[in-house]
Parts: sequence; C-alpha cells; structure tokens
Amino acid sequence: MRPLNGEYHNDVREYDYVLVACGSDYRAYQTLRKSKDFGITFKNVLIFDFEERHDYADAEMRKAYQSYEELALNIKPVTCSIKDPSTCVKALHDSEPNLHDAAAVALDISCFTKPYSFCILKYLKEQAKINHITALYTEPMSYVFAEGLFHSYHSTSGPLSIMEIPGFPGNDIRTTRKTLVVLLGFDGELSSFITDEVAPNDTTVINGFPAYAPKFKDISLINNEKLLSSIPRESILYSRANNPFETFNLLEHIFQRDSSAFINVAPIGTKPMALGACLFALVHPSVRIVYPLPTEYANITTQKCWYSWSYEIPLRIN
Amino acid sequence: MNTQDLFRNPFSDYNANSMDSKKILDYWCSPFALFKSRISERDIYQHDMPIVFMGGRGTGKTMFLKYFSYPVQCEAANQMSGGGHGNTLSFLKSNGGIGFYLRFDGPVLRSFEGKGLEPEKWDAIFTHYFELQVCKSYIEVILDLVNREQLSREGIEKEFVPRVAKKLGRLGKRVKLEDIFNTVEDALGDITSFREKIAFSKTEFVPSKPFVAQDLSFGIVEIAMETIPEFRNGIKFVILVDEYENYLKRQQVILNTLLKFVKPGITFRIGMRLEGFHTYDTISPKEFIKEGRDYTRFVFEDILVKDWRYREFLIRVAARRLETVPAFKERNLTDISRFLGKREDLQSEAADLVRGQESKTRHFDLLKHSELFKSKLDSDAIKKIQRIIAKPENPLLEVLNIIWVARGNEPEMTKKAMNEYLSGKVSSPLAKKYHLDYIDKYKLSLMILLASQYHKPKMYYSFNTFCFLSSGIVGTFIELCRRSFQYAYFEDPDTLINEGTIRSALQNRAARDLAHSELEMVNRIQNYGHNLYLFAKNLGNIFEKFQKDPLIRYPETNQFTVDASFGGDLELEDMFKTAIQWSIIQQKSYLQQQTPGGPKTDIYTLNRVFSPMYDLSYRTRGGYSERFDASYLKALMTQDGVRLRKKAPKRKTEPKESLQRRLI
Repeated sequence: MRPLNGEYHNDVREYDYVLVACGSDYRAYQTLRKSKDFGITFKNVLIFDFEERHDYADAEMRKAYQSYEELALNIKPVTCSIKDPSTCVKALHDSEPNLHDAAAVALDISCFTKPYSFCILKYLKEQAKINHITALYTEPMSYVFAEGLFHSYHSTSGPLSIMEIPGFPGNDIRTTRKTLVVLLGFDGELSSFITDEVAPNDTTVINGFPAYAPKFKDISLINNEKLLSSIPRESILYSRANNPFETFNLLEHIFQRDSSAFINVAPIGTKPMALGACLFALVHPSVRIVYPLPTEYANITTQKCWYSWSYEIPLRIN
Repeated sequence: MNTQDLFRNPFSDYNANSMDSKKILDYWCSPFALFKSRISERDIYQHDMPIVFMGGRGTGKTMFLKYFSYPVQCEAANQMSGGGHGNTLSFLKSNGGIGFYLRFDGPVLRSFEGKGLEPEKWDAIFTHYFELQVCKSYIEVILDLVNREQLSREGIEKEFVPRVAKKLGRLGKRVKLEDIFNTVEDALGDITSFREKIAFSKTEFVPSKPFVAQDLSFGIVEIAMETIPEFRNGIKFVILVDEYENYLKRQQVILNTLLKFVKPGITFRIGMRLEGFHTYDTISPKEFIKEGRDYTRFVFEDILVKDWRYREFLIRVAARRLETVPAFKERNLTDISRFLGKREDLQSEAADLVRGQESKTRHFDLLKHSELFKSKLDSDAIKKIQRIIAKPENPLLEVLNIIWVARGNEPEMTKKAMNEYLSGKVSSPLAKKYHLDYIDKYKLSLMILLASQYHKPKMYYSFNTFCFLSSGIVGTFIELCRRSFQYAYFEDPDTLINEGTIRSALQNRAARDLAHSELEMVNRIQNYGHNLYLFAKNLGNIFEKFQKDPLIRYPETNQFTVDASFGGDLELEDMFKTAIQWSIIQQKSYLQQQTPGGPKTDIYTLNRVFSPMYDLSYRTRGGYSERFDASYLKALMTQDGVRLRKKAPKRKTEPKESLQRRLI
C-alpha cells in the first residue's frame, strides 16, 4: 500500500492493462489524468462503459462521464451492464485474449460497483490465471449528503435486491452456523435489508476507523443504530477505512476463530475495505459475498479527490 | 442480581430468523387462544391439507413456523424433562408430528437464474437442490434422534440406511447414517460449485444422480414409514417452508406441484407474505392449486387486527421480553402498559398544546369554515360565540362546541349540552348526544384538528396507541417498544428503571421515527419500491386532508376502495398486490360498504404505522371510503404530490337563518 503522490518519478511502473470504470465522479479518471505525476503508465486502458449510465440528463454530468475521451491514452471501451457483471467478464475472454498473457495488470476500483470489482478480480484469478494485480484507488474528498450530514447519504437509490455476487456463493456444507460480517457503510437501510435476508445466527460489523475524516465513522454508527443495538458490543470491530490488508487480517481472524461457521460478508463499506473482503473470499472460496443490488446507483456520491493509493494484491496466497 | 444484561433493551431481538431454539421458547406466546376454533396447535402437525400462513412483515410467521420445528420442540422436551433426552421421541409423538423447517434466503433462490443458462435447466437444478435440502433435513433429524438414543442405530442402519443409500445412488456396503448425510451434503456442494463456476464460464451441471420432484421429499418419508417402527403410528412429517414469497415464480411452480400432490404422512405448512403466491400453476399445464381444495389459507392480520385479545397477546409478548432483563424483572416491571401508560390523555395533551401558544383562541377561527356563515363571520362575531361556548381548561370541548355551532346549533344550546354532559346528567338527551360526539365519535378527531390549527404535530404515545399503530403486526409493536426503550435509556434512564415509565415525548419520537424509517424502507422494496413509496406518500397526504377537515366531516377517514379490474392494467394490479404483500396497505377482512347504504366491496386502509408522518388518526373507523378508479390509482403510484381529484361528498348542515342573522 503506497500513496501515489508524485514522489516516484524515478521509478515509473508500466502496466500492460488498466481496467477503469466510467463515472461522473471527479475521481473516476484521476489515476489516468495524473498517471505521469503518479509515476505509472498504461499500455492499454480498458474502460468499462455502463449502459445504465448513458442517459444522463444533466449535461455537466454527461461531460464528466465522457471526459476520459480527452485523455491521450490507448483507451478501449468495454460496453457492459451494471446488473450483469457475469456476462461482461465472460465476454472478456474473447474480446481481450491478450489480457490473459499480461505481465502487469492494474484495476482502478474507485468507480466500479463492488460486484464488478469482485467479479473482475475472480475472473483475473480463475480464468486469466493472473497471480498478482495492482489495485488503484482515489479517495473522495467528501461524500454527498443531500440533506445534511446524517441519514441522507445514499450510494444507491430505488429498490434493492440482495444478491450473491456472481461467483461468490460460498459453501455452507458441513457448517453449523451462519455468520454475517457487515463492512459498515453510511447507508443504514442496507445493513438492515441484508441482515433480514441472510438471517444469520450471529452478526459482526466492521466499521472503517480511522476513516477518511473523523466524522465518517460516527455517521456509519448512527445510521446503522438498529443493527448495532441488536448485536453484542464485542461484535463491533474496526479496521482502517483505506487499508484492505487490515480488513483482510480482521476477516482472517474471524474465520480462524470459528471455522465451522458459514461466513457471509456484506462489503457495503469503503472500496478498499471491500477489496480486503474480496481478497479474503478469493483465499477462502467457502465464504459467501452478499450485496444489495440496486436498480440504480446515485449519479454522484463523492466530491473532488483526496489521496490516491496503489495496493499490490496477490491473487494466490495459498 | 445477575449484572449481565442488566440494562439491556428487552426489545432489541427483533428478528426470529436469528433466534436460537432457546430464545424462540423464551419469547414464545401461544397465539392459539386468538385463533379460537379455527385452528389448534395439534392441527399444525396433524391436519392433512397443507396450510398457508400469510401475514405482513413482522406478523410473527417465522416465530410461528420455527416454534413447530424439530430443534425447538426438542428444546421444549429437554426443558420439560429437566435437561435429559429421555422423552424426546414420546414428546414428538404426543405432538403428532415432526416439523422440518426450511428457509432459503433470497440471494440463494435468486442465484438459480440467468448467467446464460436456460430457465428449464435452472428448473431442473433447483428441483434437484430442493429435494436434496429436504432430504438433508430428514436425515439430520433421524441422525439426531439416533444420537439421543431415541432411535436404534442398529435398526436404522439395517433397514432404513440401505434403501436410502440406494435411492441416493450411494454405492458400497456397510453404509452408515453419517455416510448418507455426507452424500447429501456432497451433492449439495456440487450444486454450489456449479453456481460458482457458471458465473465465469460455460459449464454444464452433471450430477452423479439427478433427482426429480418427490424423489426424496416424499420418497425418504415413505422409506422411513416402512422401516422405522417409531414412525408408523400416525406421526406426520411436516415440511415448514418459510418466506415462500422469496421463491421465483418458476420455483413456486415446482413447490406448488408438491403441495397439490402431497402424500399421506407428509404435509406442508407454508409461511409467506400476503399476496406471496406469484403463481398458482403446477408443473402440469392443466393443473393449478386452489384454496380450499389443495390448501387452507390463514391470514395473521385478519385475526390480530380484529380480536380484542390482540392487546392481551401483546402484553404477554412484551412481558416475556421484559422478564429477560434483570433490572425490570427484579422490580416486577414486566407490564408494558405501565411503561407506556394505558391510554393517551387527550385532554391534557390539548391543554398543554394550547397553553404553550401566544394566542390561545386560534381554534375559534374554525367557525369561519362553516357554510352557515359563508365566510361573513368577523372577529367580533367570533368573540361573541366564544364568550358563550368557551371552556379554556378543556380546549377539546371548545373545539366540539365550535363544530356544533358550525353545524347550525345555537351557541346557548351547545353550552347547555356541554354543561349537562359535564355535570353527568345522564337522563338528558342533549347530554347523551354530546357524550356520544365527544367520547365515542370525535375526541381523537378534535385533537387532530386542534393541533392542526396551531400547526403543531399530534402526539403518539401510550400502549393503546401503539397497539393501534402496529396494525396487527407484532413486529411493529416490538419495534415501537424498542425505540421507546432506546430513547428512554439514553435520555431518561432514571424514570425508566426506577419508575418503570417512559415519557410520552420519547414514545412520540419513537413512533415518528419509525414512521419515517418505514416509509424510507418502502423505497427499497425490490419490486416497485419507488411506486409503493409514492403510493404511501400520496395516500398519507390525501387522508391528512380528510382528517384535518375544519368541520370534521370525514372523521378519521383512512380507507378506500379500488376498481377491482384495475382497468385491465396487469402491472397496476401487480403493484397493488405488492403494496398488500408489504403491508403498506391492508385489506379489511370482510367486505364492507364504501359509504353508508352503498354496495359491499373490498376496503383497504393505509398501514397505521405511517400515521405519525401525516398526523393521522391511529385508528380505522368505518364510514366514508374514498374510491379510486384505475387511472387515479395509477397516478397515486407513479406521480408525486397527487391531490384529491374530486371533492368528497359534503355532510349536510341544517341552514338556520335565525342563527345567521343573529351572529352576522
């Protein structure tokens, strides 16, 4: 885990591929825009263009979404649907055969939905047989709270359907109990929905702390009060919001503590924490990943950019 | 005193899905007294026909089904015998059956579709999966009974196991019961493995032995009945399927077929939301399931909303929870109606509301709305009436007096009626009429109207109010209590623990917060979430208009009827059914007249949990029901801020010219 802050000019890292999600958040193309400053270059940019995000009524948002076209990079758009990551990654096999032979691959997780990040990572590991990737991530300066600080953050809008992320069904064979680990986010309704659906025997929550800003950890606690009041205090854990490896370690600890349980992880917290959960599920295929799939995502959920990070992710730990 | 959990919120366990067997028993309150003669506890095991238990979210379906499951009944047997296993089997035999509880979560069920595989192939895989899951639950129970020495291992492994092994395609000699269990688990593991792979590659599902409907769900029972003597004497295998509404339509077709062709010795008890059937079809194209012929339907809310014993039931439900918290148990504080207060005190609430206002007579402006005076009443005339009918210590009586005058009664006569009522002149017809209006008909409406005149919200508190707000949904009542206790623990713990009461302001906040939270949740419902959100909002706004009518012509109106054909719009019908399924609206159990004297029809009400958002009455009274035709209903579900399209019929008032002349 290292910050991309311009102090690596003499150590330029070249990637064969970088996979980036289109988005109208400013941070969507930050690593592409600032690649020179960050000391990284990309031979091929696969940019995932989501059909659901095409019909922006707002001209500014449309412009922001399409601004990748102005970047002088070798960009190849991949048209896909937010709702169906499975079909999209299956198609990569034919459309990008060279990806399988790539020596250095990066994935910018900043604007991918979490199901997409998970599916792509599993695809890279299982199908493309890639052993290692670099995950890039740009922190938001702030989140969008439409009606004040508390209770008004929604990363998604509209109806929800709790799904297993394709390719992560886990395995409950010979387990005696069902455990749910929620990586806590601001959107309090999500955790209640997931808990009701999964109906675990016990629930553990992991809150992002230290958070990107001090208030964020409190917002997620307050917004998830109903869930928190129903679980024992010792089941409320913390992990640094921008460090996937800390989340991985914590999940490992939970797993080792009770390996007879069928562990379900709901990664509704920060993206780096979700990355840690993904790494954990790649190591332990018996772990199920559940996620609330909305009919639509909010157009802009973050404002400006804070730090950018790169994480070296080994896809084969054992 | 046990200091662990000393100050635990007794209502924080809200989800029966997450409760273990002991907790289910701890919190269990038998509802059969409420069910009267319709169904008995023994019927759950012994009634041959499948029974479908319907109810909104939080009505206690899961608690109910889980109670009859094997693990909970084992725990009950253990508790009866003081911890030993000696009488488990005889306990189950006395029950008349064994319950096999099956709940598949939504993510699992939804994973059996898409990913480039044809629906017919998914159907076959799901059938195979379901049969194996039922089989697993049977074997689990038999294995447990063997481990508890209730069944002879020798006998089971001699007769039962070989036949089951053959059915499962398990080869080899000296197969043990545990081997059977592992075989089933491995077969289930193959399905999970396929679900994982199909997400990234084109792969085929090739099980070592595929199972079709009934192969194991009925087949294993048949073998058990034939080979295990203890199961021969009328003990039924009761398959308890929870959350049927989560099953995809094609999956329900598969299970409907099992329901229709159920065999002797096996039956189903299905828990589902209202309108939880997505289809009545079976695999056979010409066959479908029909209520009364193939299953019995039992709706929780029908019983709970209607029966006055619902309150007693809630008191018992709450007591079971309060008893688990030492701080309350030791002080004998286990009566929820003591914490919340039995009933709201509207008179004090009204007095408090007016006392805090700069102008304490603003409600007399209501007189201006009377058609009698045709907006000609000036402030002098109002003061003139006010001097006659004033009763400052009880603003509710003042509002009633205003209504009486506005409806054409002489102020002096109104004052006389009030005074006779207050002095308890029971023989006076005038006092009787006044009593009827004040106590029986309008008291709550008077409070709502008074609060609206001062632009203040109505308060929601007391056990009685919470019972009504819960709309027959036990989970809503528990959630109202949970929030009230939570706020009280934080803001006023001394009163809560030492006096065993919760301030009405905190209860009111709990009710309001829950109303907001429930409305927000509506938005996230998987199908038509936003439409249902708009529907609830629009209904709330419309009923608010009715209930704040300045002349109380539509007291506590919160019900409506619809064009049952939905104008042939299938999507609209589906949306409407989803609104019922999620208890956003509730159907009254019997047909009623839309208006007095009108034809009987289905009547629906907005779930009263939303009442605090719109300052609506927490009760449902008969009388006027608004009728929505299909196009208007569609507008209510698709547009924001829909207003009443036409004016509701107005109540007639007797024109009294002398009164007009004298006052204007």
